[in-house]
Amino acid sequence: MTFTRRILLAAAAAVTLAAAPAKAQTNLTFAGYSGLYQDLYMKAVIEPFMKANPDIKVTYYAPGNSAAILGALRAQKAAPQIDVAMMDISIAKAGSDEGLFDPIDEKVTPHVKDLYPQALMPGANLAGMTFDSLVLVYDKTLFKEPPKSWRALWAPEMDRKVALTGVPDILGIALTVMLEKMAGGTDWNHNLDKGIKEMETLAPRVLTWDPKPDLWNMIMAKQAGISVGYNARSQVFSEQPGSVLAATIPQEGTLFQINAVTLVKGAPQAAAARKLVDYMLSPEAQKTFSELMFYGPTNKKVQLAPAVVSRISPSDMSKVVDVDWLELAKIREKVTQDWRRRVIPLSK
Amino acid sequence: MAQADDMHTASGRFGLVAMLLAPIILVNSFVFLLPILNLFRISFNEALPGGGIGPGGTLENWYKLAEDSYYLEIMLRSVGMSLLVTLLALLCSYPIALYVHRAKGAWRTFLFVLVVSPLLTSAVVRTYGWIAMLADQGLINNALGLLGFSPLRLLYNQTGIVIGLTEILMPYMILALLAGFGRLDPRCEEAALTLGATPVQTFWRIIVPLTAPGIALGCLLCFVLCVSSFITPRILGGGRVFLLATEIYDQAIVTLNWPGAATLSILVLVIFGAALVVYTRAVNRLN
Repeated sequence: MTFTRRILLAAAAAVTLAAAPAKAQTNLTFAGYSGLYQDLYMKAVIEPFMKANPDIKVTYYAPGNSAAILGALRAQKAAPQIDVAMMDISIAKAGSDEGLFDPIDEKVTPHVKDLYPQALMPGANLAGMTFDSLVLVYDKTLFKEPPKSWRALWAPEMDRKVALTGVPDILGIALTVMLEKMAGGTDWNHNLDKGIKEMETLAPRVLTWDPKPDLWNMIMAKQAGISVGYNARSQVFSEQPGSVLAATIPQEGTLFQINAVTLVKGAPQAAAARKLVDYMLSPEAQKTFSELMFYGPTNKKVQLAPAVVSRISPSDMSKVVDVDWLELAKIREKVTQDWRRRVIPLSK
Repeated sequence: MAQADDMHTASGRFGLVAMLLAPIILVNSFVFLLPILNLFRISFNEALPGGGIGPGGTLENWYKLAEDSYYLEIMLRSVGMSLLVTLLALLCSYPIALYVHRAKGAWRTFLFVLVVSPLLTSAVVRTYGWIAMLADQGLINNALGLLGFSPLRLLYNQTGIVIGLTEILMPYMILALLAGFGRLDPRCEEAALTLGATPVQTFWRIIVPLTAPGIALGCLLCFVLCVSSFITPRILGGGRVFLLATEIYDQAIVTLNWPGAATLSILVLVIFGAALVVYTRAVNRLN
């Protein structure tokens, strides 16, 4: 036996040994939001899941926002690389309609029957995993007491300190819906004319319609004084040391934002993917993540500590304006056009 | 015999050229040509509300582009603003480039590094720097306030974008100008001056014509970079200034209207093509 041959044999043996445990391990890919969300979701849900299932290794893939995740799924339709994906529920619906997902029903996880009705969409292959809502985000050093109404956006001392996310972003449309309702509108799923008129009066006071790097950072850096954002992130940012940021749900009510999880059709690791979805919707995972990032759980069985409940909005479900995002999607283009022709020109 | 040799080397050279070009042709066809063709194909798909992509074979996206005056408006704004930024970048860069070109030795190297150094920082970081300068309580407005002037709105509008883009594109303009200054022979200037031309005449009749190829190249580069620039308009525009690049982003990422975004992207390519035609004509005339 020559020396080289001996080395080759030893190498082959080493490879076999190394491959043995790797063979048993399943590599699962989960696509989700990037940044803060990724850090906290890894900690609260993905890592405990991997600990409980040592044979599954989850890779967190973060291409960006919901649209970027859907984009990645569309591009891989012929040969999916992602097993489980999360995104905004209205975008997940679009993906479901294109046939990108497998159904999530009681065959996948028994937790489906414990979900709030808002978390499911009949006919769509998805399941709501987090609830969040629209809040007023503000610099608490500029307000003597927390603002009570969305009208605080018009406060004289907030002139050129308002940082809003404009239409066609969901945040911009959500605020327009809220204003439509406040102005006496009743059919906000099909007509936002009154909301746009309200926006016209707000437009001259607005500093930017496109907060960068994001609305929370603009307020913490004192570049803006008031904004409209999502509750969960606002709560996390308000906790940071020395933060001037605070958030509140005004008396007129709020809107839901729902994130949904989806099972990718033709995923390479279908069995492990079902296991992960089952864990994501379990009371245990839902509770841990809610306590860490203040997203509302979609599983009815979750029992949260009172201190957390008060920070998860909305604790009062009657405050939630019932919005049909699928109906709204049909008038999104008209709203965008009105926005550009009527609102933006008033905002010099 | 000699003829055969010639033919032999000619075909050998052709083989070599083909071999050297093959990698870039291959890479470009896969990462550039193929995606562009795909984009072209998507522009004929139907856009469904809510972000879905419907069946192909419709001209609807193109009709909308032609019918809706809004798209004409953003196209004219994009092109107009890019021309303005290109002109401003040229005016600011030309004296610098001329000075660097005439400098000697280590001083010249130092100046050259200075000109290129902004490119070492990302455009995003430099754009955020402009926010600190242009904001309502920024450096410029505070200085104006101290001098007793009323503050100007320099940020989150078109003014901010023009200022930011001009500064960000200046290094490219200077580099292009320097590359084109090779034909500028100091002896020509000396000759003009000894023959009685004033410095102004020398500049317009000797220096500018000799540096024209550099000017043309710099302008083409700046214009193309400006039309396609997205980050700076996005950060400094405050959602008030609608341009082709920001509109493509909105349609692709926010409303998920991929067919619409694809149609606009092809339109931008057509504008680039037109810019190239203008450039080629200008260069031919100069020669």
